[in-house]
Amino acid sequence: MTGFLTLLQREIVRFLKDAIDTIAPPTISVILFLLIFGVALGSRLGEVYGVPYIQFMMPGLLLLAIVRNAFLNPAYSLFQSRWYGNIADFLVSPLSVEQIALAIILGGVARGMLVGTLVLLAAWLLTGVSVAQPVWALGYAFAVAVAFAGLGCIVGLWTRGWEGVGAIDTFVLDPLVMLGGVFYSVEMVRGVPIIEPLTALNPFTYITEGFRTAILGGAETHVLAGLGLTLALGAICVGAALVLFRVGYHLKA
Amino acid sequence: MRTPAISIEHLQKAYGALVAVDDLSLEIQRGEFFGLLGPNGAGKTTTINAIVGLVKPTSGRILVNGLDAVRDYRRVHRVVGIAYQELILDGSFLTVREILTYQAGYFGIPARRARAKADELLERFGLWEKRSAKVQELSGGQKRRLVLAKALIHDPEIVILDEPTAGADVEMRLQLWEMLQELNTQGKTILLTTHYLEEAERLCGRVAILHRGRLVSLGTPEQLTRERGQAHLEEVFLELIRSERA
Repeated sequence: MTGFLTLLQREIVRFLKDAIDTIAPPTISVILFLLIFGVALGSRLGEVYGVPYIQFMMPGLLLLAIVRNAFLNPAYSLFQSRWYGNIADFLVSPLSVEQIALAIILGGVARGMLVGTLVLLAAWLLTGVSVAQPVWALGYAFAVAVAFAGLGCIVGLWTRGWEGVGAIDTFVLDPLVMLGGVFYSVEMVRGVPIIEPLTALNPFTYITEGFRTAILGGAETHVLAGLGLTLALGAICVGAALVLFRVGYHLKA
Repeated sequence: MRTPAISIEHLQKAYGALVAVDDLSLEIQRGEFFGLLGPNGAGKTTTINAIVGLVKPTSGRILVNGLDAVRDYRRVHRVVGIAYQELILDGSFLTVREILTYQAGYFGIPARRARAKADELLERFGLWEKRSAKVQELSGGQKRRLVLAKALIHDPEIVILDEPTAGADVEMRLQLWEMLQELNTQGKTILLTTHYLEEAERLCGRVAILHRGRLVSLGTPEQLTRERGQAHLEEVFLELIRSERA
């Protein structure tokens, strides 16, 4: 267990020592969103489903922060270790390949949850929003972080260059999340060409809806549906990452 | 008879059409100082990487203390320390001391003991003054010593060194030779790859000469020079390589 915990500690220390580049930017950008949509434009935007728009949007922004940070940490850390060759330090140790993969994934979860906590704190200070179902919301956030850290691990193994991680972030993750109900619900875009089908077919939409319900309150079925989808995604991503580690994909010659 | 430290049995490694190691079999006994010689591309690094599981053999197998290097990799890794030719160091955010304490941690050594072991090695390798430095602040020689210290952090029975003195100046080479001899005297099995035949002649009890992935000669440096009627290992080496090329 010492070996596993040491590697997990390394993964956490890596992003903490570089907090200006890892923790500060996503937290600040969400605070800016909250200031613009909440404080500056809030009174003009009115209410959505009985809550001020800023409160409606906040869970989506929180989810976005968790997703991106949980994804980026393993993706960059793993690729960096492959690039510089120090991945061999872990691979020639008595750690099992599964322990290595899980420590790297949990490092991503830690970063996602830390940024998520900071964003929630900022949202609470700026908008006074509270969490309706804290236990569900926490479990949900953790499951989302695990799923996207698993995806980050896969990308960190797959990419052959630094640009690979950025490309997945920009061309896959961003559109998926932006068109996945962070700023609007499916009902709000009914009949809007392109946007409605993209939103309705996007699995992330249901993950966002569930998370929003856990935070703002509402039908438990939404939470369960979104959570189910998240757990399925997590099982696939973490499972695939473990298999890739076991076969030594891009790790062993 | 005791189980050999390393037993390589019909090791074959092919990258597509390129055969890097071709039906290599050899045994390294416990406590031996063994040299793997050969020109660039002879398969030396592939062989040692196969021992620690960084290279997957196409066929054949490797036993370390009787344990299969692929199936029992975790137990094998406990007894093997490896120092790479490339000065691979996890230096993006860790200090010299942290590099060693983290490495000890990966081997399951608890934090307090890891720090004590790291400090002992920092002293022994003349790196104590640099303990709080980042890797980028170290000279080439200091990096090389740190790589060696890292390989020894878990007190392995078997130490594998890939070109340990490549690029080192004369003084440092002599220092490293002394350190390696001391480790061998302490009972550690040492396997090194080298380009420097003088190094092999001076340090190794036995040497294997590889060429194009195949074993072309094996024995003590004295045996090889006597058999070939040469004064030095270098002449034996050149003769073997040339005759293989012909």
